Amino acid sequence: MPTKELSNPCMECKDVEATLDIRKRQLCSDCYKRFLAYKIIRRTDGYRFKKNQSTRPKLLLPLSLGVSSSVLLHVLDSQIQRQLAKPIGAKVPFDLLVFVIEPSTIATSDNLHQQNYDLVLERFSTHAHTRLSIHDIFDYIPDMKEVMLEYAGSQFVDDSSKSNKDRLAAFRNSITTATSQTDLDYVLLTRLIVAVAQKNECEAIVWGDSDTRLAAKALAGVSKGRGASMTWQVSDGMSPWGIRFEFPLRDLYKTELEQYESLCQELSGVVIPDPPLPDNVLTKNLSIDELMMRYVQTQGAKYPGVMANVARTANKLQPSSSDDSITCSLCGGLIGNVKGNTGVTVTSQSGGNQGSKFCYGCIRSRPDPTR
Amino acid sequence: MAPTACFNCKEARAVIIRPKNRHKLCRACFIEIFETEVHETITGANLFFRGERVAIGASGGKDSTVLAAVLKTLNERYDYGLNLVLLSIDEGIRGYRDDSLETVKRNAQQYEMPLTIVGYGELYGWTMDQVVEQIGKKGNCTYCGVFRRQALDRGAARLGIQHVVTGHNADDVAETVMMNLLRGDLPRLSRGTSIVTASGGSDIKRSKPLKYAYEKEIVLYAHHRQLDYFTTECIYSPEAFRGSARTLVKDLEKIRPSSILDIVKSGEDMAALVPREVSQSGKSCKSSAAVEEEATGGCGSQNGRTSGGEMAAMEQQLAENEAAESHETEIQLPKKVNGRAPKVVKAQTLGHCERCGYISSQPICKACTLLEGLNRNRPKTAIEVGIGMEDEEGSSTLARQMEQAQLTNS
Repeated sequence: MPTKELSNPCMECKDVEATLDIRKRQLCSDCYKRFLAYKIIRRTDGYRFKKNQSTRPKLLLPLSLGVSSSVLLHVLDSQIQRQLAKPIGAKVPFDLLVFVIEPSTIATSDNLHQQNYDLVLERFSTHAHTRLSIHDIFDYIPDMKEVMLEYAGSQFVDDSSKSNKDRLAAFRNSITTATSQTDLDYVLLTRLIVAVAQKNECEAIVWGDSDTRLAAKALAGVSKGRGASMTWQVSDGMSPWGIRFEFPLRDLYKTELEQYESLCQELSGVVIPDPPLPDNVLTKNLSIDELMMRYVQTQGAKYPGVMANVARTANKLQPSSSDDSITCSLCGGLIGNVKGNTGVTVTSQSGGNQGSKFCYGCIRSRPDPTR
Repeated sequence: MAPTACFNCKEARAVIIRPKNRHKLCRACFIEIFETEVHETITGANLFFRGERVAIGASGGKDSTVLAAVLKTLNERYDYGLNLVLLSIDEGIRGYRDDSLETVKRNAQQYEMPLTIVGYGELYGWTMDQVVEQIGKKGNCTYCGVFRRQALDRGAARLGIQHVVTGHNADDVAETVMMNLLRGDLPRLSRGTSIVTASGGSDIKRSKPLKYAYEKEIVLYAHHRQLDYFTTECIYSPEAFRGSARTLVKDLEKIRPSSILDIVKSGEDMAALVPREVSQSGKSCKSSAAVEEEATGGCGSQNGRTSGGEMAAMEQQLAENEAAESHETEIQLPKKVNGRAPKVVKAQTLGHCERCGYISSQPICKACTLLEGLNRNRPKTAIEVGIGMEDEEGSSTLARQMEQAQLTNS
């Protein structure tokens, strides 16, 4: 019995007034959340407790406390809670390890965001949690110091009497351009996250990259000569360290995730808002990653589908089959050309790459000793 | 301020900052390094064989002029033993092509190379001016691009030459990589970067020896060797879309000069990662779709097949796909179709056009399809064109026939 005529009923449940518009569908807030959660969960379908296994798969969720990774945590948590709430026959699909790299050790700001983290611990208490600083990378990856030393070259002087924190800071300061700094920070973050996942015997890492971010990452990666790494940096696939990388948010735009976040009480106080993009910045002072993020955001406002298609295209690339390839001791990328690439960029045009321990992309970010 | 010494010879005064890596060089070292890099590209990719006859696709623009000059120099210096000729396409654009063709004619004398000019008029019965008159200024780049890709091949075939080299530079290749990524075009992503884009059989091989040369360095090279080239861009390409990718590449170059080369490297690697069923579809029948697709060059690097409208059209199509997919979600049948396991990709199969015999993935090739559309409306236009045609050289065969018909009638 219809109690009241709805002027604009939700297209899904038809019971409530639609308040949100997503991909040409008018939905109420509950159906909106369900719609988004469905798009995320179906991407983690492959990870579930199987009968013949003794343990549940364990996934590592790197939480930056930004919108996207927080939404991912919320969705996966809700999925697990729904199972746990069942009086009998609960099938918890996987265990989550939530891993936070202390934001103040990466960004320039001193804000510890302790309150945000405390809220995460309180509200998502079902899961295991770990928090580290970026310079803990030296403890987790023992040969990292040597790799860095070799990478930074003769100009960089390492002072072994200093703390890990200061040594890493000195290394990061030796990198001169914004592009190279952002590039290497991402490499270091990835390495630490992978090392934590390995130590905790995780099967996969579920990254909180939105579609928008993936598109920017693909374009930036290609622009930095890291095209060969797209098969695990943007595609769902096996990383060079034997742990799968999954990007369950790949179908969702950043704006949609922001809308979801605004509907979730559990996330209020958790998410650290993005710092606003400064206006009037000279292009040449941006890093390539920033440039691409701006490009994808501005173009995405006009052509969201085209931008979404970038990440989808990159996801169709298939990893090279050769196992004997040597990988970069810094980023894990391939050294030399992908099998089947007969291009001569590496050998004759870039110089200084032969016999190197580092890949093309990392060499590009290396401080230039000739200047 | 004291003059800086050349980074390479350490003696002469540096007058050039190399766009590629910002090394400060003297004039002589720059020219030598530029030429040596092209030589390394040629030998690294085994581009030519001794005694080979090679046609240089010459537009009179900076890229093809530099290509001709460098190839002539290298051919003599390293004794490649090549027989070089110039091949030009006359699209029939007055005020643009007739002037640039004059440049090519001068180049032919300067470099002592024989020159052949093939016109759209004689090949297709339509000059670009006539095409524009019929269909307007919007979207005509499609016609020009499609026609040109066949024209170079047919011109080469007429000369009995198997190998055409074009002036595509690193900026062009980088733009193509970005553009194909934006367009989600995997088959083209797998072919766009390769230095040779067709091989074997009776088909004409295409290659781009300047693939790793920066546009800016090409301009510098032309300037310092005082080459004679033509700078006006095509008058019909105001809204060429490549723009989006182009702006991006230019911005990247400002941030990190090596970016252009880095994109080319990424493009080459990704090409090797494109699933076989997609990339093989072009190669298996030897000739190439690659030829079909890389046709964007020729009138400098300005033109592009896609217009801004095409980006919007693609957006709309993607939105429709999306809508269709969400209907699937609605009836909850996702397991079979979605899921992450199968990465299904559409393969292209290439055959020959039923009409002209050119390589095509469709029964009728794009050029013939476009011509059919043009010719359908011909009578009306032909008469209009025919009237103003008397003073115009290179008029289309059909128009000439119409004129004759008028004469005999009177």
